[in-house]
Amino acid sequence: MKSQSAEKKYLPDMPQKEVEELNASVKAASERIMADNIERMKKTDPNRPAAMQYFDEVSNFFGMRQKEIQEAKAQGRKVIGYLCVFAPIELILAADAIPVRVNSGWYDTSKLGDRIVPVEVCPVIRSTIGAKMIDLSPYLELSDAVISTLTCDGQTKLSEILSDAKQMWIMTPPRVKDSAQSLHLWKEEIKAIKTQIEKLTGNKITPKKLKEAIETMQKATKAFRRLQDLRKGNPVIMGRDAMLVNQMSMWDDIKRWTKKTEALCDELEKRAEKNEWACPPDTPRVIVTGTPMFWPDNWKLPTLIEEATPQGILVGDELCSSDRVLYDPVGIDEWTMDDMINGIAERYLMASTCPCFTSKDGNEDRVNWLLNKVKDTKAQGVIYYVIRGCMLYAMEYSRVKKALDKVDIPVYYLDTEYTREDVGQMKTRVEAFLEMLSARVDF
Amino acid sequence: MYEALLGTIFAAIVAIGLALAGVLIITIWKKDRTRKLSYLRLFIQVVSLVGIFISFTMALWLVAFFLVIFAVTLFSGRFFCGWVCPFGFYMDLIAMLRKKLGIRYWTLSDRVNGALNRLRYVIAAAILVSPLLVGALTITPASQIQFLFLRGPYHSLNLFLSPLEPLIVPWTGALANLGFVDWSFSYPYTRDIVYYINIPVVTSVLIYIFIGLTLVSTFMYRRFWCRFCPTGITLAAANRFKAFKWAPVLHINKTEEKCTKCGICKRVCPVQVTEVYEQKGGDIKTSMCLNCMRCVEMCPYEDCLKVNLGGKTVFHSRNWLEPSNIE
Ligand code: SF4
Ligand code: SF4
Ligand code: SF4
Ligand code: SF4
Repeated sequence: MKSQSAEKKYLPDMPQKEVEELNASVKAASERIMADNIERMKKTDPNRPAAMQYFDEVSNFFGMRQKEIQEAKAQGRKVIGYLCVFAPIELILAADAIPVRVNSGWYDTSKLGDRIVPVEVCPVIRSTIGAKMIDLSPYLELSDAVISTLTCDGQTKLSEILSDAKQMWIMTPPRVKDSAQSLHLWKEEIKAIKTQIEKLTGNKITPKKLKEAIETMQKATKAFRRLQDLRKGNPVIMGRDAMLVNQMSMWDDIKRWTKKTEALCDELEKRAEKNEWACPPDTPRVIVTGTPMFWPDNWKLPTLIEEATPQGILVGDELCSSDRVLYDPVGIDEWTMDDMINGIAERYLMASTCPCFTSKDGNEDRVNWLLNKVKDTKAQGVIYYVIRGCMLYAMEYSRVKKALDKVDIPVYYLDTEYTREDVGQMKTRVEAFLEMLSARVDF
Repeated sequence: MYEALLGTIFAAIVAIGLALAGVLIITIWKKDRTRKLSYLRLFIQVVSLVGIFISFTMALWLVAFFLVIFAVTLFSGRFFCGWVCPFGFYMDLIAMLRKKLGIRYWTLSDRVNGALNRLRYVIAAAILVSPLLVGALTITPASQIQFLFLRGPYHSLNLFLSPLEPLIVPWTGALANLGFVDWSFSYPYTRDIVYYINIPVVTSVLIYIFIGLTLVSTFMYRRFWCRFCPTGITLAAANRFKAFKWAPVLHINKTEEKCTKCGICKRVCPVQVTEVYEQKGGDIKTSMCLNCMRCVEMCPYEDCLKVNLGGKTVFHSRNWLEPSNIE
């Protein structure tokens, strides 16, 4: 375990009073935004599925889920935060700890982050730093340790900065996925994390427990895929709602989430039978790809798409904050400890489409994923979303565009910041794109 | 006498075994979505074993077996290896035992595995050429008969059929050398050892060593023998050459876009075939694949991997995410 030196390397010593004041004001603003987002989602789909009620509830950062975790902690359970979808959730669950994702989507805190790192840095990183500075994120605060994966430069330095305040467990993913030595390295990382988790929680991860955890996650994946499959036909659910459901899987109790998602799917199926659509079936179908978008503030683009005139609907995305989270299962051939560890290592490394990878044979995984998604969901256009400072996604754009051009799918590059100021300008751009899509539909 | 009695006992055991296997398959079919095909395969392996035993009781021309295997391999890759071969079946049973003990298999490095695969061709070539060297070129009526039963100069071709040896045979078993005189016990390749090296103690020791080695190596590495077994020589590789494209009718086919490179197919393959994982879609071209179809069964994406028979899809990967409670 890393010793925590009293002297902070990055984080400033802010007066307690300032921290509290800022925390209170950002929190209040955030609560307003969450309520507003949900209100608007309800307005977009007046006939919003009743099952969404539950997800609205969990989505409140400062609500019932926070309390639940606090209570669990009081009973001695540990909370393990993670910054990327590379964290082996199965191992965390097998040790009876609670996994929560701690990336930040707050706009306001990114300004605070500017005090430590320059504005050129990706706002997801700056905002997470800022959230830590004013102790805003309940999940980050409650985490006993945080798993950080050194994917991009931002994440790399972020884990160093956060180590001022938190116990960080750092995992290095290899940048090339498909070589024997990469997998070997990654397996060792997974094993090391397993030891750390066992040490922190004091619970040994037995084969039986791990098997249970894997099966829990497989069930979650099944529910998750069911929801994505439902989005392939006529619109039964608005994209934002589905996105919220997907994102909650990273914060909620996964077993309960699975049950609630299955219930939502049941409801949606019934609606589809009765031809009750969330919006007119000829609404242009859009997919978003690029930098992850986090609840609650960074709900800007999906909101714009679905509230625009002409309206669009998000039928899927290629974001590691949403459609990619639970897509892949851990598949086990022989339920021995070794095979399970191997299965977990492979699932988190090889199936990942994170742009931090490159490969000897062309690195087509992300492009393939996207092409398949476009085909499956019959999407008519793709919005390539990048927040300024997110190098990897920005750089992959031209490649993705070429691939989409080949299948005649228009793609639009949209860059923005963690701010509300450019909403008006973005609206014009999104509407022009949707206009073009609906013209193509008519044609 | 013994033979008849043993034959009856064997038949009874097999009958009961088949019935149990049937029940097992139905239960699993209902519950476990990731093992349906595997159990069906197990069932067919048992049936094949019985079939082979029975055909051995008839004075069948051995050469017929020989031709059948080659025809099957030519048109459907190593389907024979995955679904029929008794030696392969025994190896699968050993793997099941290992699984029960909760021990994971070892893996060979891709390099060694590839080298063994190439070694297979050398061994097979040597076996095929040797009859010519011992004068089989002079075709006489006698030698024609010898050919049909793979005797005389053609004896070496028997090596191709050795994996077919049931553990109990309808004739004097080759394990007589180990003291099982009058018993009909046998084991793949032991008859060849006896034939080629017939020195009292040495032969028995060699047989022990051979059985011991194959058991241990199979316990450690899945389907170890299959990685260089000459019988498993395959013309599925014909796939590779345009001129032979018509030949194979059984293909494993991959849809590249659907593959998320999750690596499951690579891990579950008993002979460590990497092509299914690495190849960018299309018909999988490899001579190592046993066509056991475990990869197709385990791939978690609907329609990503398919088994095509004569252009028709007979089986495809599914979204199997209904975790099993069986093991
Ligand atoms: S894009 Fe990659 S590095 Fe960034 S958060 Fe997602 S998984 Fe992590
Ligand atoms: S490779 Fe040889 S031992 Fe293995 S299944 Fe095929 S014929 Fe049998
Ligand atoms: S199991 Fe299927 S999805 Fe996974 S790597 Fe193999 S072919 Fe691709
Ligand atoms: S590649 Fe697939 S079908 Fe071929 S041997 Fe391996 S698991 Fe069996």
